[in-house]
Amino acid sequence: MCKECGCGQTNGNTRLQFLVKGYTEELSKAVEKTLLGLPGVLYVHIHWHEGETTVDYNPSKTKLTDILKVFTDRQLEAAL
Amino acid sequence: MEIKVMKNILGENDRIAAENQALFKEKNVYVINLMGSPGAGKTSVLEKTMERLKDKVNMAVIEGDLFTSKDAERIEKHGVPVIQINTAGGCHLDAAMIQQTAPQLDLDKLDLLVVENVGNLVCPAEFAVGEDEKGVVLSITEGDDKPMKYPLIFKESAIALLNKVDLVPFCNFDLKSAEEDIDTLHPGMKVIEVSCTKDQGVDAWCDWLLLRVRAKQGK
Repeated sequence: MCKECGCGQTNGNTRLQFLVKGYTEELSKAVEKTLLGLPGVLYVHIHWHEGETTVDYNPSKTKLTDILKVFTDRQLEAAL
Repeated sequence: MEIKVMKNILGENDRIAAENQALFKEKNVYVINLMGSPGAGKTSVLEKTMERLKDKVNMAVIEGDLFTSKDAERIEKHGVPVIQINTAGGCHLDAAMIQQTAPQLDLDKLDLLVVENVGNLVCPAEFAVGEDEKGVVLSITEGDDKPMKYPLIFKESAIALLNKVDLVPFCNFDLKSAEEDIDTLHPGMKVIEVSCTKDQGVDAWCDWLLLRVRAKQGK
């Protein structure tokens, strides 16, 4: 974010990639929407066929367990 | 070998922002940090706001601009106290700028302070200035993809004004899609469709603002 123009240090965000088993197209859209609604989550990209799920988030605003809960609530298996 | 420790710039900004916030709380002044791209219509929204509210609340404006005082001159015509901050190329206002500037206003007599940030959809969202809440103005001509492309400003803001909605018929802007994206990024966020030229949505925005001002004063 701001670091792009040099006016801040970093935005404090971390990018994680999960491998998620059990997606359907519909489920992947629901997961994307829910993840994006979490505080500090700025970017989500899902390849639902492969299960590759990228999440850019701020750990000070959302815990990793909150992200994992989005998967487990839908009976999806997610691994880092 | 001496190891230099870089100062946490954002941490320092947050500290000063908290001091500003304490001052505004003591004075019962509701402060909104209005953000958005250059040309989104922040100053036009402010002009409409002053027309509606200047006789109902005591308000003042702090104007952020890179170099000029063009926006401040527009505000001054409405008879509302305005202070110009020129950032000399800086892409956002920060808490220290507001700390230096705010004492020039008669805070004891103020109900509402609007900080119009530098036109920029990215950096201002990163820096608290001591505001109660942030608001973002997005114009139709910028495109409906902007919420997802610039998510932080929508995450941080309490309200989004979709300005220039009178131009929807002439632009490839999907209002429903943009509003859904905003709701995805910030579930339940207040979104108001506004046209300053057609006077649409301005009352809804001013009502929202007035409620916040009254709530701050405990009324």
